[in-house]
Parts: sequence; structure tokens; C-alpha cells
Amino acid sequence: MRDVLKSRLTIVIALLSASLGIISCSLPRQDVLSDLAQYTYLPAYGQWLESNVTLTDHTKQFCQTPTDTSAQSSKAIERLRNAFYSAQSQWSLMQPLLVGPMSEGNKSWQVQFYPDKRNLVARQTETLLDKMPTLTPQQLSEESVVVQGLTAFEYILFDESIDLAQPSKKKRYCPLLMAIAEHQRALTEDLQQQWLTPTSGMAAQLSQFPNDRYLDQNEALADALLIQISAIDNLKKKLGAPLGRLSRGAPQPYLSEAWRSGRSLSNMLATLNGAREIWTGSNGQLGVRSLINDRELSHKIDQAYDVTQAQLKGFQQPLFQLVTQSDTSALDALYESFDALHRIHHNELAQSLNIQIGFNAADGD
Amino acid sequence: MTVSRRTFLGLSGAIAGAGMIGGWAFWQQRQHRPLILSARNDQSGQHYAAGFYLDGRCAFQTPVATRCHDITRHPFLPIALFVGRRPSTESYLIDLRDGRLLQTLRSQTNRHFYGHAIFDASGDWLFSTENDTRYPGKGVISAYRFDGAQLLPHHEFPSYGIGPHQLAWMPDGNTIVVANGGIRTEADSRKEMNLNAMEPSLVLVSRDGRLLSKETLPEQQSSIRHLNVAADGTIVTGQQFMGDAYKEVPLLAIKRPHQPFTTFPVSHRALSEMRHYTASISINSELRQLAITAPRGNRFYIWNLNNAELLLDVNVPDCAGVGAVKNGFVVTSGQGKCRLFTSIGATAEHQPTSKALTLPAGLWDNHLIC
Repeated sequence: MRDVLKSRLTIVIALLSASLGIISCSLPRQDVLSDLAQYTYLPAYGQWLESNVTLTDHTKQFCQTPTDTSAQSSKAIERLRNAFYSAQSQWSLMQPLLVGPMSEGNKSWQVQFYPDKRNLVARQTETLLDKMPTLTPQQLSEESVVVQGLTAFEYILFDESIDLAQPSKKKRYCPLLMAIAEHQRALTEDLQQQWLTPTSGMAAQLSQFPNDRYLDQNEALADALLIQISAIDNLKKKLGAPLGRLSRGAPQPYLSEAWRSGRSLSNMLATLNGAREIWTGSNGQLGVRSLINDRELSHKIDQAYDVTQAQLKGFQQPLFQLVTQSDTSALDALYESFDALHRIHHNELAQSLNIQIGFNAADGD
Repeated sequence: MTVSRRTFLGLSGAIAGAGMIGGWAFWQQRQHRPLILSARNDQSGQHYAAGFYLDGRCAFQTPVATRCHDITRHPFLPIALFVGRRPSTESYLIDLRDGRLLQTLRSQTNRHFYGHAIFDASGDWLFSTENDTRYPGKGVISAYRFDGAQLLPHHEFPSYGIGPHQLAWMPDGNTIVVANGGIRTEADSRKEMNLNAMEPSLVLVSRDGRLLSKETLPEQQSSIRHLNVAADGTIVTGQQFMGDAYKEVPLLAIKRPHQPFTTFPVSHRALSEMRHYTASISINSELRQLAITAPRGNRFYIWNLNNAELLLDVNVPDCAGVGAVKNGFVVTSGQGKCRLFTSIGATAEHQPTSKALTLPAGLWDNHLIC
């Protein structure tokens, strides 16, 4: 499976490179978008699919292999958790890269149900398994998005009320674990196909204009930046909600994005890394930074990423615990950094590129 | 006093004179070229009342103090009111020949505009949806008399609902259809106060303020916001859902003549693409086609109004206003280029075609008239 994916990617990158070669006088923005498509978006979508393939494999292995001892169970659960961390982290990295097909319809909800203000994931998971103890992936695809994604998977894998080492629990929850993993694999495989399709695929639509999606490179760049900036804005919400900034200061630890797995902050770091790849480009290829002549602004943005990444790496405890401590100054400082990063992108970067970021979509009537 | 061209030219000293009459004739000759009227911003945040011809030439861009929303044009004089977006207390009467600001219309004490208004067919009266801020959300329709130069507040009557938004004339010219959004907001605020107790409704009211009918939809958190009326009296409304973001709910509704108000059939795919938000609605009565913009989903749609067949579902970044033109629709964008869709004779198999317009890209508000 992975070999097939890699060879597909190689062929498409080669085709895109060849088509670019024909356009000898292409525009800087078009070059940046094309490089981002080839070296940032496509590889990231490939890695995301790969992480879901791994999750599917590990889930099958866990569910289909009897575990005789508690040590074996613990190891098997640990392997599955690691596969989950990887899929969850890759999904977090994808947030700023969800331009195009993934941002259409309700697909994001199918991957993650957040925020879950009323604990719907736990309630609907239990109700679903009571109703359909032998759930299949096909049946899951017709159920609510609440139970289709990684949040329900996380609930089963990490909630204190569920001990998967017990055979009865494993028997109850495995059909849903396998169905979710398969749903995620199928969804990301379909997405990758939508990116790779020659001429009408998303990678091609970021490389040659006009096309069915964008009339010119300015529309495409605005769309790519809108998604990237929205992801940074969402970081503010993902931190602000548990910190109580949206609820008159009262901490809301259960509004942490991945409170059950304790990975909220590392997921934020993954999102930030994804956003930075749009800015810098990947592996020495062009990114948005190459379009900015204002050195001071470029430096300011680089520095804002450096500071925020360093802050995120400095936390030793899960966000769930940190928000309830008396001293939240480090989290407050992180929030300010997210806010600063968002403002620099939304105002200064967009203005420097003469791009409007969501006028009616963000503030209609 | 009945307003005529002579009255208008006579009363408006600033635009009287031979040169202006020449301008009037020139303006009239331009009528074969649609003049698009819309509110716009520039990158610095300055608001404008804008008029552009479809070929991209700027007729005027008049700076105004507050952001406007919809526009209503006088039935026969070259003037239009650019209506202040909620909670604005100002609207702007503009001379379409040169963009001159003729009047800043201020709402009365304890009132603000909701962004929509309509001139009547005589040109003597203008009706506007407004908020009675003493009882936040209580909808009123304010009537203004046009004396040939100025709009003067005259009287008001209830919208028979909360948070009225767009309104339009029914074909009889005596009945007004009002979309009551159902959301309470206070003066100077856009913050919703009653998301768990919304009361959206579609109301038909006579021009003298008598309630003729009031209908609702099953989805209590779907704010009935925008509407358009076909030549045969068919009303189509667009909703904005204020409930849980992951839920799928209908977003378009229709009231055909002598029929109850009911859901307009839209595919699951289109509903999920719209992201709970429809913006502008236009009906091309000659083509019997319905078009809507969904800026949060970056989607533009055209349906056959007779049989609800989907004719077009296409990406338009931050699509904003839509207006019917000969053979199709023109669409503006808050973020990208404006487009002209030719949809005459279109079917699901032979979809409408589009071309980019040379109008300025981006920063167009959610409504246009042409």
C-alpha cells in the first residue's frame, strides 16, 4: 500500500514538474503555489493517508489477536495508542493545509468532533454500540459524524471507564475501532485521489490558472492563506476555551482538544509546524515568504514562529492539568503569541500581499 | 405630492442645470449596460457606495461613513438608497449619475437599520426594516416619504416578528413580504441574545401595516434572512442556521403562490457545502432560475425554479452578491474576481458557463442590484 502511494506521488510530482517546465514565464505566486502543492501539500496528504493505513493495520492487529497475559494486552494497547498519536498528530499538522476538497462539506467533522461541549462523543458511542454491536464500516458511514472520527477513537482508547485489556470490553469496542480506522483510511485515500487527479485535481488547480476552482493565482493564494490563518486562529480558540477566556475566566479543562489522550499541546505544535511550512516552503522549495520583499516583516514572522514553537515545546504537563493550576501565566503568554501570530498574518502579511482574507465569509449578515 | 423627473430635477438644486440634464440623458443611454450597485470596502477599511458597469468601468465610488448592505433603487429617477448594515443608524441616498451623496438618512431615535429597504412603485415611499431598541429585536417597518429631494420619516408599523432583515414587494405592489430573522440584538451590537429562543418567521403585510399571514419553518434556529420574489409571486428565502455546527439542516425555503411556506429541496452534498450560511438570493424570472451565494462554503448555485433541478454548483471564493441579468447572473466576491454566469437554456447536463469580469476583485458586500 505504502509503495503504491509513494509511486503515485512520484508520478504526479514528475508530471507537475514537467508541466511547469513548459510554463517558462510563470508568475512568482504561481511558482510558490506550485511548489507548495508539490513539496508541502501532496507529501502531507500522503503522510496523513499513511498514518491512517498504519492505524487501520494496528487496529486490526489489536482486535484480531488474542492477548493471553496482561503484559501482552498492555503492549498491544500501547502499540495502538502510538498509531493513534501518529494519526492525530498528522491530522493536527494538516489543519493549515486543508485548502480545497477537505474544507468542503462536513469532512472535518468526520475526522474530529471538537469542541464536544456536551460530551456527545461518549454518549453517542455507547448508544451506537448498544444498538449495533457488530457495526461495520459501511454502517458507520451512515451514522452521525459524532462517532465517525478520531475523537470517538480517542474516547475508547483513553477514557478511564474503558479498560480494553478486558476481553469483554475489547469485544464491545473493537467493531467501532475498526470501523473508524477504516473510515479514516477511506476518507484520506479519497482525498488524496482528489489532489492527484491530473488537470482537475487540487494539485493541478494550485499550479495552472484559470481552472474550475480559481480564476487566477491571486484567488488560489488567498484561499491557501485563508485556511492557514484560520488554523492559527483556531489555535487561539483551542487554548482560549479551556483557559476560560470564552467563559468569563472559569477554566474549562474538558474543552481541551485532546484531553483524554493528553496531547492537546503537542497537537498545537503540529498545527503550528504545518502553518510554518506554508510560510517557508518545504525542503528549500518556495513558500509564501519568497513573495515578501519587506525583510522586516519576514523577520518578524520568522521570529513569531520561533517564539511560539519554543513556548509550546516548554510545557511538561498536559493542557488539561495546566489550565486548572493557579499560575497560568505561561499559557496566557502562549495565547498572546498565538494572537500575535494571527494578527501578523491576517493584517500585515495579507496587506503586504494585497490579499483580502474572508470578507463576507468571516463577517456577513 | 407625486415625484416626477421634473420634480426631482427642480427640487435638487445641486443637480439642476443644463449640464446635469445632459448627464441625465447620458445616464439614460447607459441603461442597456447594467449598472451594478453594491456596498464595497477598500483594503484600509474605508466603506463605499459603489456603482460599476458590467464592463468594469467605474461609475462612482462614494466614500460613506458606515458599511452598507443592500441597495434599493428609485423606480424611475437615477437615485438609490444604500442601506446601512445593522446596527447602523445611517443610510445614504446617492445620485447614480455621478455618485454624489444627496442625503444621509438617519434612523429615528431608538431605531437602527437592518441593511434592507425598498422603494415602492410610485417612488413616493420607502420602507425599511428596523429594530426598536427599547424592546431589542422588536421589528418595525419604517415608512419614509420621498419629497423629490429627501427621504422624510413618516410613520411605522410592526414587522410582526423579531429581527426583521430583508423585505420585498409582492407582484401586486401593495403587499410586502418580510423575513423576520428571529434574533434579538441590542442597539450598537451584533451580539445575538436569544439563540435558544429564536422566533424566525415569514410575514406578509399590507403596505398600510395589516398582517396578512405569518408562517414559520420547523427549524427554530434557522434565521430566515434573505429572500427574493419571482414575477409570479413565488417567494424563496435563504436561512442561516445558528445551532450546532455539525448538524445538517435545510437552508432554503419556498412559498409558491397560494401554497404554504416549505423547504426547498437541496441535496445533502450542497447543504453540507453551505456551512449553515446562505447570503444573497436572486431569481431570474425570465429564465425561471434561482441563484444563491454561500460565502462560508465558497459556493455559488443555480437551480431551475420550476422543478428544483440543480443546474450549477461551483466554487466562487467568498461569493457575495448575486443579481439577475439578461441570460444569467452576475456574482461578486469578497475575496476574488467577479463572474458572469450565462445560464439561459441550462440543464444539469448543459451547465451554465462563466467568465471573469473586469470589475475590481474582492471586498464586495453581500448584496448587489443591477
